[in-house]
Amino acid sequence: MLKGIGVSKGYGIGRVIVLSEGNIEYEYRENCDFAIERKRLNDALKIFVEKNTALAQKLTETVGEKEGEIIMGHIMMMDDPYVRSEMEKYIDEGICAEGAFEKVCNTFIDMFSSVDDEVTKQRAVDVMDIKAEVLTILTGSEAIDLSKVKKGTVLVAKELTPSMTACINKDNVVGLITEIGSKTSHAAILARAMEMPAVLSVEGATEKLKNGELVIVNAMTGEIITNPSNEERGIYLQKRLDYIAERESLSRFIGLPTTTEDGIKVELFANIGTPEDAQMALDYDAEGIGLFRTEFLFMDRTSAPNENEQFEAYKKVLLAMKDKQVIIRTLDIGGDKDIPYMGLTKEENPFLGFRAVRYCLNHRDFFETQLKALVRASHYGNMAVMVPLVTGVDELREVKSMVRKIMDDFSKEDIPYDKNLKIGVMIETPAAAIIADILAKEADFFSIGTNDLTGYTLAVDRGNSNVAYLYSAFAPPVLRLIKNVISEAKKANIPVGMCGEGAADPMLIPLLISFGLDEYSVTPTSVLSTRREISQWTKEKADKIAKKVMAIDTERHVVNQLEKMVQK
Amino acid sequence: MVSKKMTVVNSQGFHMRPAMTFSNAMAKYPCHVIIKYKGIETDGKSIMNIIASGIKCGSEIEIICDGERENEALKEAAEMIESGFGE
Repeated sequence: MLKGIGVSKGYGIGRVIVLSEGNIEYEYRENCDFAIERKRLNDALKIFVEKNTALAQKLTETVGEKEGEIIMGHIMMMDDPYVRSEMEKYIDEGICAEGAFEKVCNTFIDMFSSVDDEVTKQRAVDVMDIKAEVLTILTGSEAIDLSKVKKGTVLVAKELTPSMTACINKDNVVGLITEIGSKTSHAAILARAMEMPAVLSVEGATEKLKNGELVIVNAMTGEIITNPSNEERGIYLQKRLDYIAERESLSRFIGLPTTTEDGIKVELFANIGTPEDAQMALDYDAEGIGLFRTEFLFMDRTSAPNENEQFEAYKKVLLAMKDKQVIIRTLDIGGDKDIPYMGLTKEENPFLGFRAVRYCLNHRDFFETQLKALVRASHYGNMAVMVPLVTGVDELREVKSMVRKIMDDFSKEDIPYDKNLKIGVMIETPAAAIIADILAKEADFFSIGTNDLTGYTLAVDRGNSNVAYLYSAFAPPVLRLIKNVISEAKKANIPVGMCGEGAADPMLIPLLISFGLDEYSVTPTSVLSTRREISQWTKEKADKIAKKVMAIDTERHVVNQLEKMVQK
Repeated sequence: MVSKKMTVVNSQGFHMRPAMTFSNAMAKYPCHVIIKYKGIETDGKSIMNIIASGIKCGSEIEIICDGERENEALKEAAEMIESGFGE
């Protein structure tokens, strides 16, 4: 079995075709007739432009506008007057068309690769792609016609270039495997748009996999199963059919508002961990961001990010989400993470220790930097700030007074910010849940973090296999706390959401509907299934279940009851 | 010669799509179009050089137009950048 990153979900079963790229060979000539070489280059570029114009049009129609744009970009890159004049300069020196063309491409490949920015680095791949294509035309070599591969083909390549991906006939190709690529590369974007299972970053795939070999591409886990048994084939064929049926059923919910069957509208947001995830949230039709974790900014580095760097990251998400709400959580980190510059010491019980808002309020300068970046970013969208691990209202007061002070300073300096910036509490400790009535008087909103709330309430570390069986959001104490938080929020007339795994749990959803949860925040890939789940309940049906369940005395009976009533 | 300083506001900075839109729009003007960023001058009609400049969201840049129809070119350039390329 081989392993990589599943970037476009699904299952594919088929026979391998390895695309060997191999450098295109040509004879490098000098002292050429520049008139002849100019004409050769112009003719080749003309063919390139014609071919790709047709391809871009086809892609726009069959896959999407964005995908067509990638190829349009290739055309423009070769139409660039600067690029043309550089190539002509070399040709005028007597260098052959291939050589002149390749030199200029290589200059840009080097330039793009050396920019300290992932997106620009990826443009180098585009130029490599164009280079191979034009050199193929110039040298008259033959490229594999990807649109004519046999039905049931799994394509294997070192790297899938956009033009390769664009030529793929999706009726015949059932899966993609590459050695290079990430979930943000063009190949991944195109594969997702074509709904084709793709596993990238599979080390040595082009050598380990042989032409004609039968493989199973499991893009859910990133696994490639070689030599599958008949039984495995049967299992995965069924999985594939189930997955396709499920996806079709979910696609009906794209673009629909999230409402219960009897028309109660709720908000359905996504949880994200990096600015790049915002696009994924939008792709899955999230109506906002219910939890943007800021930890990524602080990890894997030697000093804390400055205000500007943080500001840019927050702003990026706000701009991407346009007027949709984005709830950003302040730093939630403690002794379980090794971040040398933060001066955290190893603790006996890091989850009961010096972390999150406790650390931040004790490192004012550090925290002030984050709050300043957040207040500045608030000008660029619909933003809210959420404070984690609150156990008392004084913590919320302190954060709010710091924010007020920053706002006063900004007003004096004429720095724009959102004067109505909302500051809410992440309810993830039993303490916060029990004093929800007190917190609700001063918080602008609540968001229930079911994962930690469950762990702290039941005093269970779910990573500890001896006690993990106790960990369940369906335990009566957890359900009571959730209900209390929602009802106190309603009394105080503030919105209440949930950003833990519970918000996407089909068994918890009827209870949340009955309690009156306003906002559900789930992983991007669960947005549509959660919307479907919510649409299947009426308030009346949900109330009936909640009434019954809340009277039950043990977790096991709650789950039994819900299984019976929910799965009917 | 006319010029204007501005901030890049679109989230992606000067990446593929904005670079396409910008260089395409500038190509129709006979004047020179220069994007000045961190002291380096980039040809505003060259998509490749724009991408290579790695201008990110939030960057302070200066657009310089010099030659025939320079005022028109600068006006269109500023509109595009300040509106975030319609993002």
